[in-house]
Amino acid sequence: MTRRQFWTGIVALAVSTVLFIIPFVFIAIIAVKDKREASRMGFDWPDSWHFWSNLVEVVEARNYMLLLAYFNSTVITVGAVTVLVVLGAMVGYVLQRRDSKWNSLIWAGVMSGLMIPPAVVPTIWVLQELHLFKTIHGMILIHVAYGLSFAILLFRSFISTIPRDLDEAAIIDGAKPLQIFFRVVLPLLRPVTVTVIVVQSIAIFNDFTNALYYLPGRENVTVQLTLFNFQSQFTSQMNLLFMNILLITIPPLIVYMFFNRQIVAGMTAGAVKG
Amino acid sequence: MAQVVLKNVTKSFGAVEVIKGINLHINDGEFCVFVGPSGCGKSTLLRMISGLEDTTSGTIDIDGRDVTGEEPSKRGIAMVFQSYALYPHLSVRDNIGFGLSLAKLPKAQIKAKVEEAAEKLQLTHLLDRKPKALSGGQRQRVAIGRSIVRDPKVFLFDEPLSNLDAALRSQMRMELTDLHAELGATMIYVTHDQVEAMTMADKIVVLNAGRIEQVGSPMELYDHPASPFVAGFIGSPKMNLYDGEIARRMGCSTYGIRPEHIALGTEGPWGGTVKHIERLGADTIVHMDSPEVGQLVARIAGDRPVRIGDMFRAAPMTGKEHRF
Ligand SMILES: Nc1ncnc2c1ncn2[C@@H]1O[C@H](COP(=O)(O)OP(=O)(O)O)[C@@H](O)[C@H]1O
Ligand SMILES: [Mg+2]
Repeated sequence: MTRRQFWTGIVALAVSTVLFIIPFVFIAIIAVKDKREASRMGFDWPDSWHFWSNLVEVVEARNYMLLLAYFNSTVITVGAVTVLVVLGAMVGYVLQRRDSKWNSLIWAGVMSGLMIPPAVVPTIWVLQELHLFKTIHGMILIHVAYGLSFAILLFRSFISTIPRDLDEAAIIDGAKPLQIFFRVVLPLLRPVTVTVIVVQSIAIFNDFTNALYYLPGRENVTVQLTLFNFQSQFTSQMNLLFMNILLITIPPLIVYMFFNRQIVAGMTAGAVKG
Repeated sequence: MAQVVLKNVTKSFGAVEVIKGINLHINDGEFCVFVGPSGCGKSTLLRMISGLEDTTSGTIDIDGRDVTGEEPSKRGIAMVFQSYALYPHLSVRDNIGFGLSLAKLPKAQIKAKVEEAAEKLQLTHLLDRKPKALSGGQRQRVAIGRSIVRDPKVFLFDEPLSNLDAALRSQMRMELTDLHAELGATMIYVTHDQVEAMTMADKIVVLNAGRIEQVGSPMELYDHPASPFVAGFIGSPKMNLYDGEIARRMGCSTYGIRPEHIALGTEGPWGGTVKHIERLGADTIVHMDSPEVGQLVARIAGDRPVRIGDMFRAAPMTGKEHRF
């Protein structure tokens, strides 16, 4: 390690401490304080520890709403990410491999999905017409629609690094198109699939606004919306609010830590090694 | 085993005609080599036989059956690609057995067939490795193994040796020839390298710009090239070819004489000064400037002393001259 690398490392550590660690520590400290102390919002050591009682209170609040929210968010995230991966990989594959006069039109559609911002009210009209408004599967489809363009983009460019010879060898071996996709191409997409899973599942799990617009209703609550439980115009229970934040930040953090290595490995590896 | 018959086969990509009417008969059990310069349509023709590329017009028969519109897997062919095209995520065993598992053969039968093929190609100890842990020559063998287990009537090879180094290439040439003798199957082999064509083929098909220039055994092409193109393509170093005024004096439009059919000495119609010498050991290739014909290349015995600047007279051996 040279002197220069050493100092760049120190600076990077300092910046990330300020940006990420300090806010997190702040959340954690408030979350263990009692109501009165928390309302002062001070960055000081708690006088008394209420970790467990705060935790229980948050989980039990409004008839175990947080658990229902965890369940709903998990269903939405897993459902949407599964559909995104399968559809994104398949569309990316067909767009990359098959020459057709429709390709440029389809590609323009994919691109406009990235560029044109979604309009909320017309979307709600469409959902109502299709009887998908206020339903979990409607919410899944919304997330698929919002994320699909980016997933197709990633998959398509990755598939272009897989030699066509492999498809042709499989054709000669007697594989049907779906078999080529599922038995030869899809296993090679692992690195980019991991990237899509991590990026999209964190985004979808952390989504606040879309759930607010498209998924109203007590039984449909998602984790981000449980934050409203402890925040109202008149009283705010800061200690419980921050405990809630702490609890719903943990799953994405675990996903990220678990896949971190694989994301890095996936970014640096080509599809077909040597 | 099977014969392959092409009748008036053409192929166009858009407005460009790449294969311009090929008629060809490949006999049962023959080792047939398509040779020609890069871009002449060898791969395209092979891919048409495999079914990966459809034919614009004409028909392709394999084993007496018209397979022109047939899917590749139904044609009874197997193909080895230049890039080997091994499935990177599968072990050697699964690579070789992939086609059999698609055909839903019982597991025990797949295992037996894969192991038999691996035995034949000395791959047994590598069966559980992934392709990336293999050398070039081993990958090539796996690719061949994958084609053997399918029991094809016709093997197709598209420049399978061009990614290997020279020593390995000549070893693999012999192994392929042995394999052909052992299996007795019809094989079609594409290469741009005339040495591969000469050393391996029963029948050579010389292609040029989408047409067949000549079909024949290696020695037929060497002794009796039908055109200046074939004459220049087959044989190394290249035949000396002259056209224009020089050829007209010899009574033809193109005159050719191979380097090994020129006697250097004190007599002969052409004079020459040695410009450049390639010593190959057993032979020496001498490049000369001649006032009568311009450039002249001759092959002489390796032990004969020769130096740059030496002057010789050159005489073509009678009966070895080619007039087109
Ligand atoms: N898919 C294709 N689309 C358009 N032109 C092609 C295609 N494949 C091959 N060609 C053209 O056909 C000609 C013959 O190609 P190829 O058969 O690969 O030559 P070879 O194998 O003899 O080097 C080349 O000029 C090439 O550019
Ligand atoms: Mg080629």
